[in-house]
Amino acid sequence: MSIQVEHISKQYGSFTALSDVSLTIESGELVALLGPSGSGKTTLLRIIAGLESPDDGSIRLHGEASTGHSASKRGIGFVFQHYALFRHMTIFENVAFGMRVQSRQLRPSRRNIRERVQELIHLVQLDSYAEMYPEQLSGGQRQRVALARALAVKPKVLLLDEPFSALDAKVRKELRDWLRRIHDDLHVTTVLVTHDQEEALEVADRVAILNQGRLEQTGTPQSIYDNPVSPFVYNFLGNVNLFHGRLLADLSSEGHADGTHEPIQTAIGFVRPHELELSRTLPLDGKAVVASVVRIHAAGPQVRLELSIAGSGRPVAAELGRKQFEELGLVAGDDVFVWPQSIRLFDDAEATALLLDQGAGI
Amino acid sequence: MSGRREHASSALLQPSMQQRVGRVVLIAAALLFLAGFLVLPVAAVFAQAFSQGWAMYRDSIRQEDVLSALRLTGLVACIAVPLNMLFGISASWAITRFDFHGKSLLITLIDIPLAVSPVVAGMMYVEVFGLHGWLGPWLSDHNFHVIFAVPGIVLATIFVTFPFVARELIPFMQAQGSDEEVAAVVLGANGWSVFWRVTLPNIKWALLYGTILAASRSIGEFGAVSVVSGHIRGQTTTLPLEVEMLYNEYSFTAAFAAATLLTLAAIVTLVLKKIIEATSGVHQQIEEKEAKS
Repeated sequence: MSIQVEHISKQYGSFTALSDVSLTIESGELVALLGPSGSGKTTLLRIIAGLESPDDGSIRLHGEASTGHSASKRGIGFVFQHYALFRHMTIFENVAFGMRVQSRQLRPSRRNIRERVQELIHLVQLDSYAEMYPEQLSGGQRQRVALARALAVKPKVLLLDEPFSALDAKVRKELRDWLRRIHDDLHVTTVLVTHDQEEALEVADRVAILNQGRLEQTGTPQSIYDNPVSPFVYNFLGNVNLFHGRLLADLSSEGHADGTHEPIQTAIGFVRPHELELSRTLPLDGKAVVASVVRIHAAGPQVRLELSIAGSGRPVAAELGRKQFEELGLVAGDDVFVWPQSIRLFDDAEATALLLDQGAGI
Repeated sequence: MSGRREHASSALLQPSMQQRVGRVVLIAAALLFLAGFLVLPVAAVFAQAFSQGWAMYRDSIRQEDVLSALRLTGLVACIAVPLNMLFGISASWAITRFDFHGKSLLITLIDIPLAVSPVVAGMMYVEVFGLHGWLGPWLSDHNFHVIFAVPGIVLATIFVTFPFVARELIPFMQAQGSDEEVAAVVLGANGWSVFWRVTLPNIKWALLYGTILAASRSIGEFGAVSVVSGHIRGQTTTLPLEVEMLYNEYSFTAAFAAATLLTLAAIVTLVLKKIIEATSGVHQQIEEKEAKS
């Protein structure tokens, strides 16, 4: 079932949670709502679910206006951040709940309920836990029960509110892959709220990025990662490095400021750590700055370097492959030439994308 | 490292001579205080009640006036306690699950009976429902008596026991949060199913705990009931009032015999309270939640 979010606005006192957000989610899609805390992503999810009502705008489920329909009538499965399992019920009863509270005409027979619950408990791989209580399960297991419970009523839409954020890193990764597999099997339209960009980019078909109640950008993970439309998106998706904003200024002033970009006084540029080139010798065009190696993090497939630009002392993060790192033979304290492969410029004041520059002219 | 920790803990386990003496003195003082101010008086009640022998005790209790007072006390408790459960649940549900104007006022109002002297509470009802009060003449015209009659006693008892259930439930329900109820709503449950299937099972121990406190208070209430009752023997005297009247008439044995009934009710309450605390961990849950936040 498709979901159309049309011009939704929501205000809490003087705080604007959402302002004129429109978004279409196609049937069978898995969309991630991504944003920092306070960006309005959870509010939007709760409005879709009918747990909150918008001040303005409407939600259409499968083309049908649902604003005004109560949460219980929308055919929605909702998974909460803190599981919200019924603590006094066994796992079996938790999963059966949605069917047991259906009106008599719709309620499946006892046998059908039993079969469906067993099927779902099997799906979430908790067969031997059916008679246990939530408190006897680990966090990851509880969230799987919560998902089974949500799926029991055969929802047309599955909404997940930061479902994995209370779990530790390893379990989170497992559950994320597992959610993707379940989605591929069931093809239920799914909206996932998360503040974890890695999670969003990895699991979703499409990502919608929210910031301060506004929709910044929507697109496939790759298109968003490759073409961020605003400094915010750039900042939010990359490894969190504030140095981006200042790097261009440094490079252009200490490099060749007489280039083509001089008129853009207030522009800020972004370079991801892995887009930086490092060399012990000055490149042929001479366009590079000198930086000293402050610290090396070599545990992992990529080697991360903390650099400090000579003169200004601005910190810069770089990332390179293990092989290249070994060829360079860098140790802390070494000086190295640094230049960007590609750089993305934004007008500082407008915060809109001005141009995409493939590293030329700096 | 571990060796040092062991050393530290063994030092804690084996206090110095001085510490040991201090501990013994403190415990002895506490026990003496308890014996002097609690155990001894309670024992005295029973001693006085049985001072004229078992037969006399039995006859005292079987007096028609005492039995009638016992019945009235039971009746009042049977009306006041369920009503307070209802009010308590409604108020706690409203306060912990919804945001509305005047919420803090409501919370304050619930506490008023704890702050107001029961005598004042009784006088408030006399002022409103008494023969010279605001509604008294009208009620009297319609042949309905509140003051110096059973309805007044019930009202006064409800007033003084009002906070017990709500005060027990509110922190408990706040600690539990409304996540499970929201989950139930999204799964399609209507308000009624949410209450019976999710809310009530989750609060049942706290509810029982508050109910027992309310029942105990409604059985033992003296001040407010005394003002509105009129002390009509066999009609509007509850057990605490009967005890006082017997005592004032110098029927000491009978007074203490009736008092043993109230004492027994109190002991039963304490035992039930302990059992609930042990089996349910009502307060544990709240404390855990508070410790977390």
